[in-house]
Amino acid sequence: MKRVAVTGMGAITPLGNDVDSFFEALAAGRSGVKRLEGPGNERLDHRVAAPVAFDPLPLFDAAKLRMLDRVSQFALAAAAQAVKDSGATFDESGRARCGVCVGTGMAGAQSADDGYRTLYAENSDRLKPFTVLMAMNNAPASWIGLEYGLSGPNLTYSTACSSSAVAIGEAARRIATGEADVMIAGGAEACLNLGTLKAWEAMRTLAVEDARDPSASCKPFAKDRTGLVLGEGAAMLVLEDRDRALARGAPIHAEIAGYGLVTDAAHITRPSVEGQAAAMRAALADARLDPKDIGYINAHGTGTQANDGVETAAIKAVFGETAYNVPVSSTKSMHGHLLGAAGAVELVAAILAMRRGRIPPTRNLLIPDPECDLDFVSSGARDSPGLAAVLSSSFAFGGTNAVLIARRHI
Amino acid sequence: MNALERLKQLLERDFAIPAASLDASATLESLDIDSLRLIEIVFAVEDEFKVTMPQDQGEIRGRVKTLGDLANLIEGLAGAKAAG
Repeated sequence: MKRVAVTGMGAITPLGNDVDSFFEALAAGRSGVKRLEGPGNERLDHRVAAPVAFDPLPLFDAAKLRMLDRVSQFALAAAAQAVKDSGATFDESGRARCGVCVGTGMAGAQSADDGYRTLYAENSDRLKPFTVLMAMNNAPASWIGLEYGLSGPNLTYSTACSSSAVAIGEAARRIATGEADVMIAGGAEACLNLGTLKAWEAMRTLAVEDARDPSASCKPFAKDRTGLVLGEGAAMLVLEDRDRALARGAPIHAEIAGYGLVTDAAHITRPSVEGQAAAMRAALADARLDPKDIGYINAHGTGTQANDGVETAAIKAVFGETAYNVPVSSTKSMHGHLLGAAGAVELVAAILAMRRGRIPPTRNLLIPDPECDLDFVSSGARDSPGLAAVLSSSFAFGGTNAVLIARRHI
Repeated sequence: MNALERLKQLLERDFAIPAASLDASATLESLDIDSLRLIEIVFAVEDEFKVTMPQDQGEIRGRVKTLGDLANLIEGLAGAKAAG
């Protein structure tokens, strides 16, 4: 099996539109969660979310932009950063061995919502000509493949909140087995439209707005947690056969060392300790690492009652006594839950924590929950030089649990 | 203003096609109007001229090689609508 290097990273997030500003905000404990303003949002009962401040006009010409849903704009922008960071070039002879794996939960939800608004609210039959192209689930991956002329596998994974962790894991597998040399892999989500937000409200799983500070509404692992806060954005990684990366002198930010994929097959929403623990164990086995080798866990940590207690128990089940020694944080407290993009954004956070020796905190964890009693890094970022391996968990509605382990490249 | 002039204005304004390249004999190909762009232009033309273009893209492509052809098609449809 080949080793898989991460040679490039890019991110469009509620905390900044490049990896440096993203991590700077995380380490500073800044929140991208806010009260949504703007027309239509007065209909929301839960108005807090983590939107991205993004201007597509400098990045795309007008004709192309008319074909790009916001989710594809995010995906392309993050991919461009990652490719630039990696210094990868895709010449004609090698393109067939290069591909794309993107995870997304709702893909072109904005365009679908716009179409329904035209059809049902405005009672007009004049749907925009490119509604299908914009809303289709594989649009983000397809646009990336077109941009760089990559004729290898072009795949879209949709496993709800684990979509992009799955996309990265599956892309890494293709490199490990020698099927591909380079894969652009990650996730994108742009779900903050009224239809999607109202649907999530109906699930009764969204956080109540914090009365004193809306930016503190997402409280993972806290006793007073009330639910998740939706976010949007994208993160993309360039994954590359390590030998190839070394041969061309590419920067290697980390190695994808392990990928665990285990499905609960028990309940459509309720998380399971067994399923989450099994996914972590599978990732550790894949990486040939012991729990004590993991220096930081970027938790799924949604801030829902159901997840955070189960996840704490699952970490204990896998890590045993060392569970209390491994720092765990949920950066969702700051960037919200990016659904299909969450796994990719959080893996980038974990890799940067390892690279920079600084563990981002769990924000808003002021009132501990006795059920959630691990080291949640709740009082600001923590210096932690020499991290050798980090683990990022993504657990999903539908039950597909995906865990990625990144290792310092030596 | 006749259909050709209005069409030129539309293409310049909404599709950023340089005015200098827009004349009756300009082919769709020379204007970089591919199948996807044509779908958008058909949509915009329907809005602008209040006509219903043929659903069949092949029929449009068969009848329209140049900008002049497109203007004639629009005028024909508008005329039929007025007469009807």
